[in-house]
Amino acid sequence: MEIDVNTLVFITIILYIFYSTPSNEGITSEYEYNQLSLLKNQFSIEYNNFMNLTYDSNFKNITGFKLSYADAANDPNTTATYPLDGKDYNSWYANENYMLLPDSIINIINDQVWSRSNSDLSNVFPANISTTMYGSIINDANSTEHLTKIKMPIPKFYNNAEHLGDINPPIGDDYVEDDEDAYFHKENVTFTKGEVTISLTHVDKLSSKPKGRDEKYFNTQSDKWKFLETVIVFNDANENEQRTIRGKAIYDIQRGRIVSLTQSAKFHSIFAFPHYSSMAKTEKENIFKDVKQLVSEYWETLDFVETLKATDFEEWGTSGESLCEYMVFLQLEPWNQYTKEQLKIIDHELKWPTGLPANISSIPPIRIESGLIYSPDCGLKFHLDNVEGVREEIKISSARTLLLFLFFLEAVQLYLLLKQMQFTNTPSSINRVSFYTLALLQLIDATLTTVILILAIAVRPIFIASMLCLLLSFSLAYVFGIRYLVTVTSSQVNEQNVGIMTLLRRVIREENEERTVITEDLSTISSGLLGKIYFSLLAFMMFLIIASSWPKNIRKIVEYVILFITNSYWVPQIFRNTIKGISPLSARSNQNISMQRQNGIPLLWKYIVGTSVIRLLPIYYFFANPSNILRHHTDLKFVTILTLWLSIQILLLYSQDYFGSRWFLPKHAIPDGYSYHKPVLSQELLEHGASENHTVDCAICMSEVPVYVKDIPETHAVDQQSYMVTPCNHIFHTACLENWMGYKLQCPVCRAPLPPL
Amino acid sequence: MSSLKRITKELNDLGRDPPTSCSAGPVGDDIYHWQASIMGPPDSPYAGGVFFLSIHFPTDYPFKPPKISFTTKIYHPNINANGNICLDILKDQWSPALTISKVLLSICSLLTDANPDDPLVPEIAHLYKTDRPKYEATAKEWTKKYAV
Repeated sequence: MEIDVNTLVFITIILYIFYSTPSNEGITSEYEYNQLSLLKNQFSIEYNNFMNLTYDSNFKNITGFKLSYADAANDPNTTATYPLDGKDYNSWYANENYMLLPDSIINIINDQVWSRSNSDLSNVFPANISTTMYGSIINDANSTEHLTKIKMPIPKFYNNAEHLGDINPPIGDDYVEDDEDAYFHKENVTFTKGEVTISLTHVDKLSSKPKGRDEKYFNTQSDKWKFLETVIVFNDANENEQRTIRGKAIYDIQRGRIVSLTQSAKFHSIFAFPHYSSMAKTEKENIFKDVKQLVSEYWETLDFVETLKATDFEEWGTSGESLCEYMVFLQLEPWNQYTKEQLKIIDHELKWPTGLPANISSIPPIRIESGLIYSPDCGLKFHLDNVEGVREEIKISSARTLLLFLFFLEAVQLYLLLKQMQFTNTPSSINRVSFYTLALLQLIDATLTTVILILAIAVRPIFIASMLCLLLSFSLAYVFGIRYLVTVTSSQVNEQNVGIMTLLRRVIREENEERTVITEDLSTISSGLLGKIYFSLLAFMMFLIIASSWPKNIRKIVEYVILFITNSYWVPQIFRNTIKGISPLSARSNQNISMQRQNGIPLLWKYIVGTSVIRLLPIYYFFANPSNILRHHTDLKFVTILTLWLSIQILLLYSQDYFGSRWFLPKHAIPDGYSYHKPVLSQELLEHGASENHTVDCAICMSEVPVYVKDIPETHAVDQQSYMVTPCNHIFHTACLENWMGYKLQCPVCRAPLPPL
Repeated sequence: MSSLKRITKELNDLGRDPPTSCSAGPVGDDIYHWQASIMGPPDSPYAGGVFFLSIHFPTDYPFKPPKISFTTKIYHPNINANGNICLDILKDQWSPALTISKVLLSICSLLTDANPDDPLVPEIAHLYKTDRPKYEATAKEWTKKYAV
């Protein structure tokens, strides 16, 4: 199809229309515009309310905070319409009449979670706590009293337009009906003990412009308070129930406390941070003031109301409709072994490594001393146990070290592969190398390349280290690995569609069937092979991606099966050795070196052992080191079985080299291989136009070959080892043909394939 | 050296039983460097011309093919301006059973029947396929100009 300029312009315009970002930020109707305006308006009013809040006055009509726990518990039919009759809006006390927390939980927080006194500032806590922590979570639903689910209505303007022509969204609040479809039943948590992952990320810079341009520091009290984003994921051991809590959080550096709250259309929790951070009896006023300032700085810098977009609107709406709200209260363990100055040095050193004496490797993990998670609208309560994690920067530096090790391993593997390629530089020896052994190794290398590529893109801080590894693993898998595979395939094309027994007999052409000699050139072979390799790699990656979403125990089985199969890479070589036949070491010892090479095992011993060790080491790291970076479970039994399995494979290879490759087959099961050295019949001699002295011409050196002819006694002095008869009945000097077989396994006269020596 | 023995043998055979339309022999003392000549086949546009070729034997001859190229300019789809010849038996289809006289005969038949589907000079091959008379005229003209 010819593409002229007009078509090209047309296609460009169409593509431009498809891919250009809509200028109205996703708003497609007046109704949606009004919805967004209503939300902005609501936020503006609530922010004004918030700015007038003091440490001793109550929330007024801030979404999600109109009812207190006591309001909901005392009167199940109460609605959250502001103002409530008889509610005290002018004072604030940290009890269930004012807060969303029942008194019992407030007491637990004050007595157990945040047990240290507010005015005690002697403990030292790290300022930077970017980390991912892991630990256990215990559901308190069964052990404590029944918790009232506080009603949290969603404003009606979140609803979609009922009729096409609607312009004004409805006013009022929507209450979720208490039936089995309600989100607070669906999102209920039934397990008692599970695993929890807590990720903390610092928010130090903000921008009101799209795509994060002109980011600036907004926090004027960053030595005392930090703004965080938190992602908390918890699930039971079998991963049947999994909940993800995304929230904003405020970290009190002086006291090591974190309050994290989720936000949605029914819970504008950003305004609640000052009150919920200052629950304890002392220092109320100061904490309230500081946190309020931090929240307002956040709000103003982000230009929160003005930057709200239709997509945000949708996000707030859907999470409000379908998810529980959570309040998380955490207390960090102090790092009292350091002084504040030492911590400053450590923080600086982690951020910009300059070699200050900050003993990075001995930095303790960030630990949560105690933590409580509470959902006001779903009536859930959890506490945390033994949650800890190393700091992100330390994790990254250990990831770099690991990548460096990987780089080293790959370099050794590349060296071994090159040596191995050099070792099998004749058609005869390369013909004995198993295609499937190499293909399996190549599949592992190619998968590793893809994984490193994804790592390089996804994890910014280790980009350079991953790129280095990528370079090596790419050349290992796609340059030299594939190159070697192509050579091996091309040396074995003549064996395609040939039965195993035929191969065992070493005669490729059978007399009763006419086989065309395949003379494909390298480029045809490599393009066909590359297609197959890329397809199988793609299929393998797809399988891995699909398998990663399967239930945990099935995933584990799949992982073990895959690891077992991919670590059976010497099995095809053992099989091929058996087919091709290797004479025992004792029979080879009197041959010259090049012949020994041609008749021995086609793989270098250092390649076999090196490759096995290189590929076992990473598995050892993940299966035997309990503090491995991916938090992979340890399983020493599996590692031992895998090591044994590989050792058995290597031992088998060695035994084949020592006793001959068919020692384990019974004698009668082994058909005789093709022998190049055999007597000639006198009629055959005639066919070759033999001269009177019973010789034939060698087509390679063009001189005479004396042959042993069975029925002519005077030829019996001829050594049968001095000449070779091909399966196509052409006769050459042994030296001449063996030399030629170093170039090509093809009869010089008729181009019929020759069985390798 | 086995290659020396084999080349000498070939030289003797050529002297004993020379092929009809070609001849070959070493240039000076170097037995690894030969010169050959081919008479343009009578049923081809190269008729009447004598074409000279240079032959270099590799040291691992006959396991590697000899390097053969035309020194006389010739207008042919499979032979380029440098005299390089596109012929499979001189590349991956080489066999040690082939000899210089067999290769020269193959080149002779390449002159009669060009292989425009695997060309070295695509322009000539295109002309060969689309405008045979014009191709033959040019080939004749070149033969007259360079090979007579």
